[in-house]
Amino acid sequence: MKNIIDGKIMVIKNKKDYYRIKDETILIVKNTTPDITIIINKIKAIVTEIDNKLCHAAIIAREFNIPLLMGINNVTEKFKTGDRVIIDFDNKNIEKIK
Amino acid sequence: MINLLKHTYLLNIKEIKNNIELFWSRYQDILNNKKSSWDDLNEARAILYFLGYLYPEKIVLDSLAGRIKYIKPFIDLDTFLLAIDTNNKEILKKYENNQKFSTLKEFYLIIKSIKNRVKNKTYLDEGRFDKLYSKLKPQDYF
Repeated sequence: MKNIIDGKIMVIKNKKDYYRIKDETILIVKNTTPDITIIINKIKAIVTEIDNKLCHAAIIAREFNIPLLMGINNVTEKFKTGDRVIIDFDNKNIEKIK
Repeated sequence: MINLLKHTYLLNIKEIKNNIELFWSRYQDILNNKKSSWDDLNEARAILYFLGYLYPEKIVLDSLAGRIKYIKPFIDLDTFLLAIDTNNKEILKKYENNQKFSTLKEFYLIIKSIKNRVKNKTYLDEGRFDKLYSKLKPQDYF
């Protein structure tokens, strides 16, 4: 079975962006901060620029069983909030759905 | 920082915890002291960078990766971290009497406690730090 998720994204540029999340979403972020916990049940997946097993995103994803794709360079610049994307976790790939 | 590194090499859990709390305490003192100078604030900045990033994400990660291979039966780092973070009872039970596993687990939990620390509603009290930093930053900063 392929490890694929699709959905609408929210690009997190600062902590206040977390508070704007109303519906289930895929987070696109450099790294997460503990502010994420306020909307943790709305997160479908997390995509980060940072790639580290002990970064905050990695810990929170393990704790809450959230799919996580790390190490995607400039992902917060390549996509914008509201885009629909498809994430292939096996191939470490994220693409915009046109 | 040398002391913390020394005790990390020794995997002296009690001293690792003590040294982390000493850094945190000094960081808080700087933020709490209305007479803190630009020099002091840069000490706080160094602590913030060290505790929030350099120590856990570089030094501790290397330490865990280097030590996990000594645990028998074998467990890889991803499985170890996931077992602790999800409280996987099957794996934790398998290693419950394994001293090396228990020590690494304790080490990781201490690191998690600093990685997830929130004070004054911001991660590692960064809100207060940022405010003070902006206030004290010299006009001719270079």
